Amino acid sequence: MKKVPADQGVLTLMTTSIVGESIPRIDGMPKITGNARYVADLSLPGMLHAAVLRSPHPHALLTRIDATEARKVPGAKAVLTGPDVLEIEGISPFYGPAFRDQPILAVERVRHVGECVAAVAADTREAADKALSLVEVEYEPQPAVHDVLDAIRPEAPLVHEKLEPAKTFADLAHLKGGQSNINYHFKLRRGDAEQALAEAAMVFSDDYVSPPASHAHLEPHGVMAEWDANGKLTVWTSTQSPSLVRNDLSNIYNVPLNQVRVIVPYLGGAYGAKLYDKLEPITTLLARVTKKPVRWILNREEVFVTSSKHGAVCRMQTGVSKDGTINARKVAVYYDTGAFAEIGPRIAYKTGFTGAGPYQIDNVWIDSYCVYTHKTPAGPFRGFGVPQVAFAYESHMDKVAHYLGRDPVELRLEYAYDEGDFFASGTRLHSLGHKESLEKCAEVIGWEPGPRKPPSPPPARGKRRGKGCALALKAVLTPSTSGSIVEMGSDGSVNVLTSTVEMGQGSDTILCQIASEEMGVSFDKVSIVRPDTDVTPYDTLTAGSRSTFHMGRAVQLATDDLKRQFIEIASDAMEVSEEQLEYREGEVRVRGMPDRRMTQEEVFAHKFKGAKGTTLVGQGVFQTSVAPTDKETGQSENMTAYWFGGASAAEVEVDCETGTVKVLNFAGGADVGKAIHPAHCDQQILGAAITTLGLTLFETMRFEEGQLTNQSFLEYILPAFGDVPRGLTSHILETPHRDGPYGAKGVGETGTMATIPAITAAIFDAVGIWIHEIPITPESVLRALRGDNGNGGTP
Amino acid sequence: MLSDLGEEAAPIAGGTAVLILMKSGLYAPNHLINLKALGGLSEIAFDPKEGLRLGALATHREVELHPAVAGRYPVLSSTYARVANVRVRNSATVGGNLAHGDFRIDPPAPLIALNARIRLHGTGGERDLPLEDFFTGFYATAKAEGEIVTAVTMPPPTDGLKGIYLKYVGNAAADWPTLGTAVMLRMDNGTCGDLRVVLTSVAETPVKVSGLEDLAVGRELSEERIEAVADAAAAQTQPIEDHRGSAWYKREMVKVHVRRGIEALLETA
Repeated sequence: MKKVPADQGVLTLMTTSIVGESIPRIDGMPKITGNARYVADLSLPGMLHAAVLRSPHPHALLTRIDATEARKVPGAKAVLTGPDVLEIEGISPFYGPAFRDQPILAVERVRHVGECVAAVAADTREAADKALSLVEVEYEPQPAVHDVLDAIRPEAPLVHEKLEPAKTFADLAHLKGGQSNINYHFKLRRGDAEQALAEAAMVFSDDYVSPPASHAHLEPHGVMAEWDANGKLTVWTSTQSPSLVRNDLSNIYNVPLNQVRVIVPYLGGAYGAKLYDKLEPITTLLARVTKKPVRWILNREEVFVTSSKHGAVCRMQTGVSKDGTINARKVAVYYDTGAFAEIGPRIAYKTGFTGAGPYQIDNVWIDSYCVYTHKTPAGPFRGFGVPQVAFAYESHMDKVAHYLGRDPVELRLEYAYDEGDFFASGTRLHSLGHKESLEKCAEVIGWEPGPRKPPSPPPARGKRRGKGCALALKAVLTPSTSGSIVEMGSDGSVNVLTSTVEMGQGSDTILCQIASEEMGVSFDKVSIVRPDTDVTPYDTLTAGSRSTFHMGRAVQLATDDLKRQFIEIASDAMEVSEEQLEYREGEVRVRGMPDRRMTQEEVFAHKFKGAKGTTLVGQGVFQTSVAPTDKETGQSENMTAYWFGGASAAEVEVDCETGTVKVLNFAGGADVGKAIHPAHCDQQILGAAITTLGLTLFETMRFEEGQLTNQSFLEYILPAFGDVPRGLTSHILETPHRDGPYGAKGVGETGTMATIPAITAAIFDAVGIWIHEIPITPESVLRALRGDNGNGGTP
Repeated sequence: MLSDLGEEAAPIAGGTAVLILMKSGLYAPNHLINLKALGGLSEIAFDPKEGLRLGALATHREVELHPAVAGRYPVLSSTYARVANVRVRNSATVGGNLAHGDFRIDPPAPLIALNARIRLHGTGGERDLPLEDFFTGFYATAKAEGEIVTAVTMPPPTDGLKGIYLKYVGNAAADWPTLGTAVMLRMDNGTCGDLRVVLTSVAETPVKVSGLEDLAVGRELSEERIEAVADAAAAQTQPIEDHRGSAWYKREMVKVHVRRGIEALLETA
């Protein structure tokens, strides 16, 4: 029995049996035995293999493209170029979730190295490659812009001269195109930050820089597509957003939704890189032109130019008044979205309004920009832009604490929001738990209370240790929608139909746990039906730490529907009014009369006159909504369905002679509302922390004049076991959310959010230097130790 | 076959380097000639008078685990044990590793410090040369067309000579090294009897630090003396600048690691 505190606005008594248990995951056995099928394991008779020719230039005009010789290659069944696509009747050649800025194949110009210029479908991959080598392309290189701050200058070359808003998502419906590389600008104004900064006794002002990085999911993107004789399209694809891909393909080909079927096998990791349309438009077009099934699997080098994390510059100003109060924060963050906006505007909007951090500060001014450059398109990346701004606002909390001679953890606890407070956006806060997470993480790494006293000047020899703690808050994507169908058979077995994509996070197991719990059937009688848009209902996407909350609720609504039907049938059979009946532990019972009951089997027998193999089906749709946002002030009464906090604490060792930083101990904490599967929650927190540790210390996509110079895992190095801290722990806190299933919220991104500033704070504690740019290379540390900071920021 | 086919053919042993080049499209030979078909090139043999002979086809793992290598040349065992990972070491061969001429590999540092020679065989017969002369430039070696590496040899160890290899990986644990530093030191009654320093992964070819006979041999290794050796090593290094560091940074790392290597050996002396 778990009692939800009355001050959370709800009072319910819940008995849970399977919810809360770390049972073996149901996708575990297929995966460890090698039986799980991914897109690359699939094939169809007569299937062709696709390959594409990619631009070698960051920005160039396509002056001539000739595929005549390529088409003569034996086995090459179709060669398509941008002009070919324009000539195909009845299709829309441009797509994109925010703006229709992305051509299926480049038309007139290319905008990043790696943009698809021509595509081939051939009997073999070798024939496809041979044909590509014979496509003749002439480019006229144009001035390109590579740096996000250069791109916002008036004289910068425009990446897109005109923009057409896509209107796919309700939260992006207000987008407009403009004559600038800034495709979106979010503003938040609360109080008078400029006045407060002018009156402040001390103003900290620094730029915090994060580079583009690769998602590095193990399974490359892959798609197989086939059109049947009646013109119905079936697509097997490694996507996190099957409902959206279906809708977009329906738009591109101008066919009804029911003529597009999107099936998603297991995903071998995604982290945001497999959202929206990736390979689907080209693959389906090749299948349509050749009238054959076509499969396209990327190689690793292609993955690097398909999507990336947003590089960002976050300009942070924090004012401290004479009495030692943080009186203002002014933030300008510039997200480098690369050549195509993809979902960048939503990242700028959603992380823009959290840009001042989870702190009660009276005067806040935020500008958040999404900016085009001639680089790899950037998309969502676990954390969705929050780590880039949390790095800035948390570093300033440490600078302020040092300036005031205060304990950085205690300072955060003083300013951090409490239940019922209003966020800087004017939205009331509920179910936070972030303060407790921070305190727990600090305790675990052995935080010594009091102000930090780093050595001054920085030591020249030896190794020094230090500790740092940080906090961040994220708001879930809102509005969004999740639909589910729960089907029970006459033998009591249950199928759960959802479009939530299992990509390693454990959603299949968690959704089955919820159905098992609700229907009162044992877990082994519950099975998942994985995404297939012909049978699984609409779901906005699998991302942003939203599935447990949204799809979990949708499954509960579907089981409620099913229980209602049981009661209706039992009412008829028992001649008792529906109001007198309840569904409990897999049976329909008459309230207050424990002997009068009907089992599931008896309900089925009554309804279907004893026929076996019959089914009952319940459905549920869960939707979240927002209140309007003021365009000038960013204020909204309701911006998000829930908030989730992440706390991190790190102990590092800095080698003062080489500048290397080793993370010795790390603790990650998150308030998950309710841990439906505690082991999955721990794995999410720690997996995200290890990923972010790599991003903090060494991962970066290195561009030289728009050319990516580390486009393979030989040169783009990921964290390995040698990098994992010896002490690595996660800490789950449960502050139930009034709308979540059993109070549950999301957890997937929590470990990413506060990890960068926890590590930089620990470096300050160890050797007294402030870090303003990631990755933290040994050379940058050594130069800072020798007094050459190179950043120009405040001390 | 190699001389007949010329540039169209590539010899292949473990394949850990050439297959990566082929996969990346940087190198596309029409023929691969499997050297593993050759007999007698994989032996590891130690003779008290002749010293150690590593057959070109011996794998890294075999060198790492060989008792004679571990007993007489422990620095070699520990260096081979730190190359890449065990899957690579089970495949990569001694000869292939050196013939590839990659500046980032570990073994040349201790091998050169141990006065190793490399043996080459071609249609013109056999020759051998000091290993440091084998590396002639960026991915370039003295191996002529049609020649293959057959063995690496080195003299028997001198009494009291101790060695260490410091692999400095500054970024991710799985990254290539920023610097490899091999130091061989023999102390005679408190003064330096022999000192050799070789640096890899930092310049286009391994750097065998010269002038140590004048700078260190016959002297006490005081803190200042060690600094002088470290400074000389840094001055003789022309670092490749890359994301692992600027020339300034890499020279600083040379100083740090030469000093740390000597200090570590003095502690065990």
